[in-house]
Amino acid sequence: MDFSANYTNVEQAEDDLRRRSLAHMAAPLERMIYLGSTRDYNTGLYYHDGLSSRFSEMVACQALANCHREAYQQVLQSSIEDLVQQLDSYIQSTNSAPRDFIAAWKNLQPYRVAVPAETDPLAAEFLCSNVKIALSIWEVHQSGRSRQPLNASLPQ
Amino acid sequence: MIQLTFSLLVGFALLVILYFFARGGKVSAEGSAQQLREARQTLDSLQFGLLPGDLVHRIFATDDLEYVRQSAQPQVQSLFLSERKDISLAWVRRVRGAIVELMRFHRGHARLYARLSLSTELLLALNFARLLTVCRLLEIALYLRGPYAAPGMVRTVAGAAGRVCAISEESLVFLKASQINRLKNDPSHHGASV
Repeated sequence: MDFSANYTNVEQAEDDLRRRSLAHMAAPLERMIYLGSTRDYNTGLYYHDGLSSRFSEMVACQALANCHREAYQQVLQSSIEDLVQQLDSYIQSTNSAPRDFIAAWKNLQPYRVAVPAETDPLAAEFLCSNVKIALSIWEVHQSGRSRQPLNASLPQ
Repeated sequence: MIQLTFSLLVGFALLVILYFFARGGKVSAEGSAQQLREARQTLDSLQFGLLPGDLVHRIFATDDLEYVRQSAQPQVQSLFLSERKDISLAWVRRVRGAIVELMRFHRGHARLYARLSLSTELLLALNFARLLTVCRLLEIALYLRGPYAAPGMVRTVAGAAGRVCAISEESLVFLKASQINRLKNDPSHHGASV
């Protein structure tokens, strides 16, 4: 197999992925969770039907893995403030009830399994710690928001 | 009596030195290859896992602290400080562990493979000693006063660890895939140049 041709294909597949599936996901956190979910946890391989049909399964897998690592690095470099905003944007995109979302994320910690393979354990732990803190801050903001209409309706 | 004690101490010290020399001479090919691989992994883990500037910057970034102080309740602030303390302690412990591994490798094996000059070896020994001391001091400071206690020391550790990595790289450069490929393709390098 010609490695350079294959490399070009992977780049094209990454570009395709960014223009289609990832174009609607502004926040790196959202992209990381989505790309993590395209991975088979039994094999560690990534699958994407649309991308595989346009390229090949192997090229699609490599492109998904590269984009996953990229999104992970972006989340890792995000400040807590930025992460709170990313979390807010992600929760809005899922249309989940905030209370259910918080309960699920606190109990199941799905962000732990959304980390790419072969990442440094300390960096992965740092990312999870940041998401945990951002979630706590978002929860406080959310409870403040839900109280606001009630306070506004109180008689002066 | 004092002279006898002194002579005994000197004799004991010489025996210890002889023991280490004898131990260093018994390096089997298999064990040696294993230790070379481990040293390469340790170096990669330091360079690409623990020391990238953006990761170190983020772990010890004060803008996160300011944001949490301004926008979070006291219990979230405590959670943040506790989490950052754990992460920063884990970071300095892993850097120290990796440096100890590299030092052990250099003491036992590097001189058999690398063409390091005496001055480079002395510089490396000084850097190792300095770095291990600063790592221990930083660990104490982080443990006692939290993750933002000693930003200067963090910079010193990261800088000195980077220098140690650069020098260690010279000893292990032949284990890089690109180098191995170059050696394979270059007919002038046939034979055991490594």
